Amino acid sequence: MKIIVAIKQVPERDARVRIDANGQWSPEFDQQYALNEPDAYALEEALQLKEKHGAEVIAVSVGPERVAAALRDALAKGADRALHLQCDAVGSLDALGVARLLAAAVKPENADLLLTGLQSEDLGQGQTGVILAELLGLPHASLIVRVEKTESGFTVKRELEEGWFQCIEVPAPAVLTIQSGGNKLRYATLMGIKRAKAKEVRRIAATELVKLPAPTAILERVTLPLKQKSTQMLTGSPKESATALIEKLKQEARVL
Amino acid sequence: MMPFPATLAEPRAFSLAEKLLFIALATTSATAFWLRVRGIFTKILQSKKDPGFRPSPVGKRLRDFVWEVLCQAKVIRERPLPGLAHAFVFWGFCAFALVTLNHCAVGLGAGFLAPSHGFGQVYFSAAATFAVACALGIFGLLLRRFLARPRWLGAKLSWESGVVALLILALMATYLAAFCVADGGNAAHLLWWAHTLVLLIFLPLIPHTKHLHLLLSPFSVFLSRGGFGQIPPLVGDEDFGLVAGTDLTQLVSLQAYSCVECGRCTEHCPAANTGKLLNPKEIILDLRSYLNELGPASEVPLLEKLTAPQAPFQCTTCGACEFQCPVGIEHLPILIGLRRGAVNTGAWADERGAKLFLALERGSNPLGIPAAERDKFIQKQGLPIFDGTQEYCLWLGCMGAYDPKGREIVANLSRVMNYLGTSYGVLRRERCTGDAARRLGNDLLFQQLAEANLETMAQYKVKKMVSICPHCVRTIEQDWKEFGTPPAVEHHSEFLARNAERLPRHESQEKLVFHDPCYLGRYRNIYDEPRAVAALAGKLVEAPRNKERSFCCGAGGGQAFLGEETGERVSHARAAELVATGAGIIGTACPFCHSMLRDALNSSGEHAPQLLDIAQLAARGLPES
Repeated sequence: MKIIVAIKQVPERDARVRIDANGQWSPEFDQQYALNEPDAYALEEALQLKEKHGAEVIAVSVGPERVAAALRDALAKGADRALHLQCDAVGSLDALGVARLLAAAVKPENADLLLTGLQSEDLGQGQTGVILAELLGLPHASLIVRVEKTESGFTVKRELEEGWFQCIEVPAPAVLTIQSGGNKLRYATLMGIKRAKAKEVRRIAATELVKLPAPTAILERVTLPLKQKSTQMLTGSPKESATALIEKLKQEARVL
Repeated sequence: MMPFPATLAEPRAFSLAEKLLFIALATTSATAFWLRVRGIFTKILQSKKDPGFRPSPVGKRLRDFVWEVLCQAKVIRERPLPGLAHAFVFWGFCAFALVTLNHCAVGLGAGFLAPSHGFGQVYFSAAATFAVACALGIFGLLLRRFLARPRWLGAKLSWESGVVALLILALMATYLAAFCVADGGNAAHLLWWAHTLVLLIFLPLIPHTKHLHLLLSPFSVFLSRGGFGQIPPLVGDEDFGLVAGTDLTQLVSLQAYSCVECGRCTEHCPAANTGKLLNPKEIILDLRSYLNELGPASEVPLLEKLTAPQAPFQCTTCGACEFQCPVGIEHLPILIGLRRGAVNTGAWADERGAKLFLALERGSNPLGIPAAERDKFIQKQGLPIFDGTQEYCLWLGCMGAYDPKGREIVANLSRVMNYLGTSYGVLRRERCTGDAARRLGNDLLFQQLAEANLETMAQYKVKKMVSICPHCVRTIEQDWKEFGTPPAVEHHSEFLARNAERLPRHESQEKLVFHDPCYLGRYRNIYDEPRAVAALAGKLVEAPRNKERSFCCGAGGGQAFLGEETGERVSHARAAELVATGAGIIGTACPFCHSMLRDALNSSGEHAPQLLDIAQLAARGLPES
């Protein structure tokens, strides 16, 4: 079995979001990066399938030089080789552009399974995986928390809302976008890092892969959420104020 | 004291047959001795060389050797009565070296000390005094082992120890008896043979039993790694810590064979005392069995051969074992080495452990709390930001930045520093010092954290640091050194003690007991400073176990992050001991101890004493601001 895991490096969770004077944000504004968490779960799923059934796991990522660190981590955790699709201005690509690069790079691999995180922690569009499936002409399923191999493909467990799950059969090859929390992540080890030194990271210039048209989706402006605090005092009898509270939670806060 | 005014009786001349018999017996005994000793030395020498081992400073080694081996100071200090009994036996053996040489020479008709005059007479009489002391000592130890039976010596009675004790008694008795019989008579002749036979039986027993420490412990004490709890560097691409026999270093092997099985390590171990599987003595003996059975070239995993494979992960790294060991065994590098072997290869699958490592891989602190919370605290508390102009960089650490009580400690320290007019600032961003990663044996993570922090220190040109956490201080001061040059760092007890005279006292006669944190006391030898600060706000009393013998709170070595313990909680045992002193205030100097004791006191349900850090005690006398 051959499994491809597409991973993304995102600003570390503790990083301060910096927005320039034009209201633009780019991942390159930040200094510290980490592997996108849902991608870490996608990698974990691939590694567990490898341990159970035997497989070659290939990590692939689009981005500038810094992305090599994320690929090395993936190799250290157990991936067999990596593809680095070099692109300095990854912030200017839309999800379609990234998916086009990924599709061009992974197509010749003829993998049995392609995994990626459900969404990224920085932009959170949740598009790349499903567009990739479309570009490759493969079936896909999203929000996956468990993958089991069957004779002809996979049985996958999909997370729905309100605690519901859906189990579906997917033929191979397929693209799955993985939800966080389905597995327990492994930690990086010294032995893994040392062994990773001998593994192959193939660098491919994005410009050589495919000629990208202008992005179809443009990030116009990024703003920080406005901080607002408003306290309302509810008066009346306990029954009245409770009723008013429920009404407000439903209508204004929309949490019920 | 000269209990034997008579001279030592020597046998009449030996016949050729007797001489040949003596030579045959002595050769057999010496061969049995040598074969075993050679086997052990070969195993030690075949073990891996110790990376980073340096013989310097020789002066300190010599001092330790004289003090711990020749003077038996540590043995006596930590267990006075049995220690003294042991010292008598040891000094008796030293005195007997020359007596025994002469005794054997007499058997070949070549005695070189005359019992009736000159140096020989003086020496034999002096040796007789030592013999009496030695006999009394070994008799006392025999009674202790077989009648008093302290549980640290193990549940099983060691009959070999009994036999050896009887042999030593017999050696002394046959020597002393020779002062009471006529020179050259039959009795003297028989006594010589009796003494010889005992000697020749005893000799091969030495390397075959724990009495091997007679030969090896002088080496293990002299050749220690140096610093307390020192973790040796990993060298090359295939070194992941103590994974298999091939990873056992010469020092580890020497120490494993040196163990005298006295059980002091276990007697003082917080894990062993609260019903955990960890028994430091057992670990050392397991390593010895491994070497005997499989040898230092074996690829069999060490953990598989431990009586309790999970035991190393129950260690709080308090270091009581290493501190106590009279034969120079360094337990911490061994216990942490075994953890390194499991963690660095990914073999340790512990849910909370993995969660801790992932939190540190992805975030700034072991608690997994967003750094924004730290910013909020800094803002709320009005702590100045370090910009290179201030004298001190105040290191918050995870507890100081995120734990409510840790924050209180920092707030009080900052009040005191403001009062003293000391300039300080906090970093905009800190990453964990890597203490828990280091002690749990995750070298990759520790290196990443140490390097990231060292870079920050260089970037902000930090020269002097102060921290409320002994774990941070130790890690910055000692462990970061492997990857660069850390700034000077001190614990707030040192800073506060230096300035104690300028701080107003909080006049109070309330009894206060100070709990020594392991990482401040045993690790850094700081006992008086926190007491000087605590004394500003109360009347000091001592807990039964204090200073070097302080009992751990249970948090160290990553345990604070590994969840519920098995058995009794270490913190509860310690809290009960502190409460029993009757003190109204328990003083601490470590936010982890503070947190552990706080939980223990809260759950005791009784009227608990107040729990205050020395920073809070120092701030008590400050005018209200």
